[in-house]
Amino acid sequence: MESMKREKYICCEARGTEEYDHSYSLGYEVDHDDWSPFARVNRLRQTFLDREYDVDVERLRLMTEAYKRYEGETTIIRCARAFENILLNVSLHIYDDDLILGEIAAPAKAAPIYPEFSVDWIIDEVKNEPFEEREHDQFYIRSDEEKEEILKLCGWWQGKTVDDLINAALDEDQLKGSEAGKKIFQTNLYHYAGVGHLVMDYEKLMKKGFDGLIKEAKEGLEKITKEDPHYAGRRDFYRAVIISHEAAKKYILRYSALAEDMAASERDPERRRELEAMRDGCRQIAGGPAESFWQALQLFNFATTLTQIEGNGHSISYGRMDQWLYPYYEKDINEGNITKEFALELIEVLYVKMNNPTKLKDGGTVKVRQGRGFGGECLTIGGVDREGRDVTNDLTMLMLEASAHTRMMNPWLLVRIHENTPYELKVKAVECIRAGYGHPKLFNDEAAVRAMMRKGMSLEEARDYAVVGCVEPDLPGKEYGWHDAAYVNTAKMMEMVLNGGRCLDCGPHCMRWERCGGKGEYLGPDTGSLENYETFEEVIESVDRQFKYWTDQMCSSLNIIDRAHMERKPLPYVSAFFEDCLLEGRDLTEGGARYNGIGPQASGLATCADSLAAIKQLVFEEKRFTGSQLLEAVKDNWEGHELLYALVNGPKVHHYGNDDDYADELFRFMFECYCRNVASRKTLRGGQFNPGVYSVSANVGMGLNTNASLDGRRAGEAISDNLGPVHTDGGSHDTEGPTALANSVSKVDHSLAPNGTLLNMKFPQDAVGGREGRDNLVDFIDVYFSRGAMHVQFNIMSSETMRAAQKRPEKYRDMLVRVAGYSAYFVELGEALQKDLIQRSELRF
Amino acid sequence: MSESGIIFNIQRFTIHDGPGMRTEIFLKGCPMRCPWCGNPESHKAYIQPGVYESKCLSAEKCGLCLEVCPVKGALLFREGRLYAIDGEKCSRCMECASACPSEAVKQWGVKMTAEDCMKVVLRDRDFYTRSGGGVTVSGGEPLLQRKFVEKLFKLCGEEGIHTCCETTLYASWSEVKGILPYTELFISDIKHMDSRIHRKYTGVGNELILENLKRLTEEKKELILRIPVIPGVNDDMENMRRTGDFIEGTLKGRVRALQLLSFMRLGEEKYRSLNIPYEMKDLEIKREELQKRVNEAREYFSSRGIRCFAGAREKE
Repeated sequence: MESMKREKYICCEARGTEEYDHSYSLGYEVDHDDWSPFARVNRLRQTFLDREYDVDVERLRLMTEAYKRYEGETTIIRCARAFENILLNVSLHIYDDDLILGEIAAPAKAAPIYPEFSVDWIIDEVKNEPFEEREHDQFYIRSDEEKEEILKLCGWWQGKTVDDLINAALDEDQLKGSEAGKKIFQTNLYHYAGVGHLVMDYEKLMKKGFDGLIKEAKEGLEKITKEDPHYAGRRDFYRAVIISHEAAKKYILRYSALAEDMAASERDPERRRELEAMRDGCRQIAGGPAESFWQALQLFNFATTLTQIEGNGHSISYGRMDQWLYPYYEKDINEGNITKEFALELIEVLYVKMNNPTKLKDGGTVKVRQGRGFGGECLTIGGVDREGRDVTNDLTMLMLEASAHTRMMNPWLLVRIHENTPYELKVKAVECIRAGYGHPKLFNDEAAVRAMMRKGMSLEEARDYAVVGCVEPDLPGKEYGWHDAAYVNTAKMMEMVLNGGRCLDCGPHCMRWERCGGKGEYLGPDTGSLENYETFEEVIESVDRQFKYWTDQMCSSLNIIDRAHMERKPLPYVSAFFEDCLLEGRDLTEGGARYNGIGPQASGLATCADSLAAIKQLVFEEKRFTGSQLLEAVKDNWEGHELLYALVNGPKVHHYGNDDDYADELFRFMFECYCRNVASRKTLRGGQFNPGVYSVSANVGMGLNTNASLDGRRAGEAISDNLGPVHTDGGSHDTEGPTALANSVSKVDHSLAPNGTLLNMKFPQDAVGGREGRDNLVDFIDVYFSRGAMHVQFNIMSSETMRAAQKRPEKYRDMLVRVAGYSAYFVELGEALQKDLIQRSELRF
Repeated sequence: MSESGIIFNIQRFTIHDGPGMRTEIFLKGCPMRCPWCGNPESHKAYIQPGVYESKCLSAEKCGLCLEVCPVKGALLFREGRLYAIDGEKCSRCMECASACPSEAVKQWGVKMTAEDCMKVVLRDRDFYTRSGGGVTVSGGEPLLQRKFVEKLFKLCGEEGIHTCCETTLYASWSEVKGILPYTELFISDIKHMDSRIHRKYTGVGNELILENLKRLTEEKKELILRIPVIPGVNDDMENMRRTGDFIEGTLKGRVRALQLLSFMRLGEEKYRSLNIPYEMKDLEIKREELQKRVNEAREYFSSRGIRCFAGAREKE
């Protein structure tokens, strides 16, 4: 039996330090602070968990100082000079036990301030809604003096930020649908902060070092001529790159000097040797290429954190780390410089380190996107090479081991799966998954490659994809995809469909009443209402027209936001890690990357699909109710409509997620309707809009702003998440188990959403226990992916455990749960999201 | 000619009754009445309603069942809510279940042809192929609907889908024989080795069952045996010893595995919905003690060379 099973699979030689089928644990366990075999790693992890989330003022201070000093310069030079000023003057930190250096211009776990993006919310929240008093995602300003200083410095920035430029350009129709209005779409992420969402070309940096990049910029500078109409722009770009990267070198040398000072006064000879090694390593990689595995990790951490010092965009992802890092590992192992165990310890130290960067986000954003880290630092392993051959190696395995040994929010580990993925890798991944700490997530090469090719990439390029953030496939060093650009509340659009372009609760309580309902106007276009649709086709057409209208507003807003970044916040430092930017002398924000895009993503598609099913079945087929009756029910928030409420929440009405073609067809319509309305558009940077279908945790916040819906949702409840089915207080709508859900989800063409799709599945831990449970999960994943789905991630946890954690949060401080493309500490999440996670149907084998 | 069965549940993606991922089809009707049964809706062979009082919206707010019920007084209300259906009066037309918007009246059982059943089965076909799974019929007692099972399993055979029958084996050999060529795996219980005690708890003696088990092994059929371990009923070592003797002696050890399933308090709500008493209600279970007994028994069987697991497992 066993041997038969093995024959079905492809095997590999790659191994970590443990057997590939080493079993970690089943589900979350309390009272563990020793997951790692390395005492150092356990200490570092504990130190991290114990540390407070502070706000740090130093970056704000240095940034403002430089902006004042270089007032006469062009924007890009001014940006480079400010970056330089930070790197030359910011306090440096080397912590006990640490083997990898580099923070984000603030002490570990403290959040710097990025005034160039926006300051109004900082001033407002410091004065009126202090960060430390938030329900979740609190941050602490260290003293009243610093609070005053923050207010004063931020005050200087008012009128000069990216945010200010955007506000000047948005019109009323765009604003009314955005987070500033009725929140049909939320473009706040890049409105108020940096963009990020990219993978730098680490491979090249490792080989050439900062000196290599500087050399290329200098060559570029020499090549341009004054005949070129873009001469000045290109010249300033190259100059800015050189300023930034020279500053980076000096910054790393400052670390080297600090390590030397600390080594000199260190009494413990063991620690002294480590400090000396770091001193030497920093000296080498300040300008030169990495010469060892340790140096490669060190160079990686500097390069990445420097990007986070330049701008505060999140999801700065690590690319295919088991691939670009492998030559250094292989060399050190072959030459006997390091053991596999030391390589693992270094990776684990780095993993813990990856958690240090935190980001102060505005109150509106954290409602949608919880978590105090930057978020989105996806680390991709496995997959195929440009020719389609499997690339699993020892590091692939070690990176999974390190994940099981650290169990932290970062990195967001992702395993690429394809038809020839070796059995050992799948088992190792599943062993991690069922340990219940929320990593890794899995991606299907077949669907992702097709999605990449929809963005105009060649097959070879497509095969080299890495994932950014939650689920966004991206081409490292070549793509600036503006993934995660907006969250779209399709359920709110559906409200317009039901009620002739008006909110269901239109009335004087609305903040827009004076400008809208009070004047007899509507929020959206009147595309018909349940009171007057005569056929179901009319309803469908109305959906399409509403989607067209709102995606018009959203996409034009995003182009405005994009332009503001281009004008006010060029990114010369990180641009140098994009081949085409350096070749063309064009900044990333100006469209310098080879592939450009903007990816906004839909939430609530199942809410819409099940609403359509109720309308189609009850009004137009069974004719048991009139459209007006249905409209009345949602207007009344289901009060007094118990019969209808029970019916739409029960199995007698078709529901998406049960392998029921009737409802699944309606979901497919919704999915395609959203993708079609987004995908046809162009961006300012010369790329295309790429739709995604995922919600992270935005579905909870969006639900708060959405009136009752015909899927049986009451006002305020979460709308459906990602690709997931509906679950309301009236009941979960998927009742047929995981195979049925997998079948429903794979009836849509996932590649139509090149910005990624996401499916969360929650399994109770007893369902995946034992050899049998493990093998079934491996097989389940294989079949699910063979049907063309793009992504899946699992929560292996019982609702009981989560409820227990709600009661005794102090015992469950390090319990990670998968929220959407990422994992978060459960006890730090808001109550509504905790409830949503508990409700997501548990799928039982 | 199409064979129809009365099915009370099709559960997709089960992993507990047979290898791999499976679709399990539960058939109505059972000749035995074990008090620990977790599926009381399987007892009667016919389609019947079940009532969930807590889900009733009340006659005042809904009342659809009253509108459609052809028999006066069959629907029993208290405090405005439906709490039971008078079995004597009910004609089992099932109109109330069709009308009920809230699942307060649930229809236990649906008539389905083997072909329609196959359509559901085929939806998960690649999951079976990948995992070595397939189809399991269970119940109730599937052999009461032998012709349906035979037809369904024939169809599965044509599609290359693995078949498993979970049965009490309380049936004449000719019935068992009918499905024999199409069934790749049998799962059956030995609830007690003492026929007198067996009869006391299940309503029938064990002779026929043991005889059928013997014949099955003589036919070299794959067989998984189970003991539902019920405290105070069959968890004594004497019964375990005799079961071991039977497996070693009469069955010549030809079982794929012996699985010990400890009693779980399942189905209490369903008993209530059917308006029949749940006899295990007052049974005190000392979970740890039961677990200890199960482990002792497992060690005992293993020491006799019988492949034995606690739980419905096939592997460690």
